Parts: sequence; C-alpha cells; structure tokens
Amino acid sequence: MRRTSSHNAILGVSDEETVKLDFDQTPFSRVKYWALKALKRFKLQGFIILKSSKNCYHVIFDRALSWTENMSIVAWVALLSHNEGLRRYLIMQCIKKCSTVRVSSKGEKASPRIVYRCGNQSENIREFLKNRQLIREISQKMREKRGF
Amino acid sequence: MVKKIAVYGSYEAKVPIKQRYWIKRRDGIRQRYWKLKKGKKTVEMKGRYEFSGKGKDLYKAVVKAHEIVPEGFVDVSAEEFLRHPEKYGFEGSWIEKDILS
Repeated sequence: MRRTSSHNAILGVSDEETVKLDFDQTPFSRVKYWALKALKRFKLQGFIILKSSKNCYHVIFDRALSWTENMSIVAWVALLSHNEGLRRYLIMQCIKKCSTVRVSSKGEKASPRIVYRCGNQSENIREFLKNRQLIREISQKMREKRGF
Repeated sequence: MVKKIAVYGSYEAKVPIKQRYWIKRRDGIRQRYWKLKKGKKTVEMKGRYEFSGKGKDLYKAVVKAHEIVPEGFVDVSAEEFLRHPEKYGFEGSWIEKDILS
C-alpha cells in the first residue's frame, strides 16, 4: 500500500536547466511517443517517466540546458501535442521562471513513481533523483516526528 | 546547478482587517485612507516557498514552513529563512485543496 500525505503542503523539486513535461489526462503510449520525439529532435540524452496518478505523467530529461532552450522545448511539445494540461503547465512555469515537479503526495494522490527509463541518466536525472530522495527523507522524518 | 525545494499549496491564515475611510481635505478633495482594525479575519490564500541550500538547512526550513506560511511567492535560501522566518511569512496552517501541478 502506498502512503498518502500526512501534511497539506506539497513538496517538489525546482530548477531552470532540466526539461520537465507534465502530461495530464494522457495515456502512457502518447507520453512515451512525445518523450521519444523530443529526445531525438533536441538530443536530450535520456529521460524518465513518472506516473503521478491515473493517466497523469511527468517526464524528466537528462541534458542540462539554458532556461530559454528549456522553455522552447516544452513549448514545442505543448504546441504539437495539443495537450491543454501541458500548455497550462508551461504558462505557470514561465510565470515562476523555474520549472517544478511534485515529489510528495498530494491529497489522495501518492508521490509520483518511475514507470519508464530510457537512455542516459547520469546528469540531471541523477540530480533529480538525489533531490527526490532528500525530500522523501524530510517527509519521512516529519511523519515520524508527528507520529504518523 | 541550483536545485531548489518547492513547498507550495493553499493555506489559512489570520490577517488584520483593513477598513477604508474618507477624509475631506482642506482643498475640498475627498482623500481615501486605510486603517487596521483591532480584529483579524481568517482568509484562504495560496503561496509558495522556493528553498535552496544544504540538506540539514533544507530539512529545518521545510519543517518551519509548515508553521510559517509564505506571503505570496518567496524565493530564499534555507539558511536565511531559518534566521528570520517571520520576514518571509506569517503564522497559519496549510489546507488540503486542489492545486495544479
């Protein structure tokens, strides 16, 4: 059984250099198709797909890029995939000037888990997984402290 | 590479009530003023912290962030936040509400 939130604030990882895509209401096959297409076109070296809830996936790419290049890739995928959720995600990240993906659980939704890996994982994916581990440890410590 | 931990969501906080009032100036213009009333009202708001720093500081900052809710969008180092948490937010409690992303 997967654990759900013991507190109401949501924890996530933010940065400017990692290309992140957030697909809502999209089947896994379409997510994989767009991830592979972006990987080949922009030479992003590798990616992981995380499942956040039913038909909701996050994609994290391995190659480090500048903020403008990063947003240009997200915009390219959002435009061609006609995904309304991804378009909204892109707008929110542009307003914040950094991109974020959720790591902790949110309400009834459990924390995202890796469902697919492809290519190189030694740069940004490694860093992301390190930060994800740190957040999980923090959540775990807080849960123990509060007696959950 | 700067990696940050984001703490975000909706929260409830007690904020002072502002009351609007008007004073007629000598030159005849009605000037609008605001004054703080004694009481406080509970409001629902959204906010976000972006913490950067070392593991231990990040842990302490995240724990602190559960008591001190952010005032809008706060991008701060965990060390600085721990030094003056009251500068970046106020007391409140996070609530479970539908948040995008």
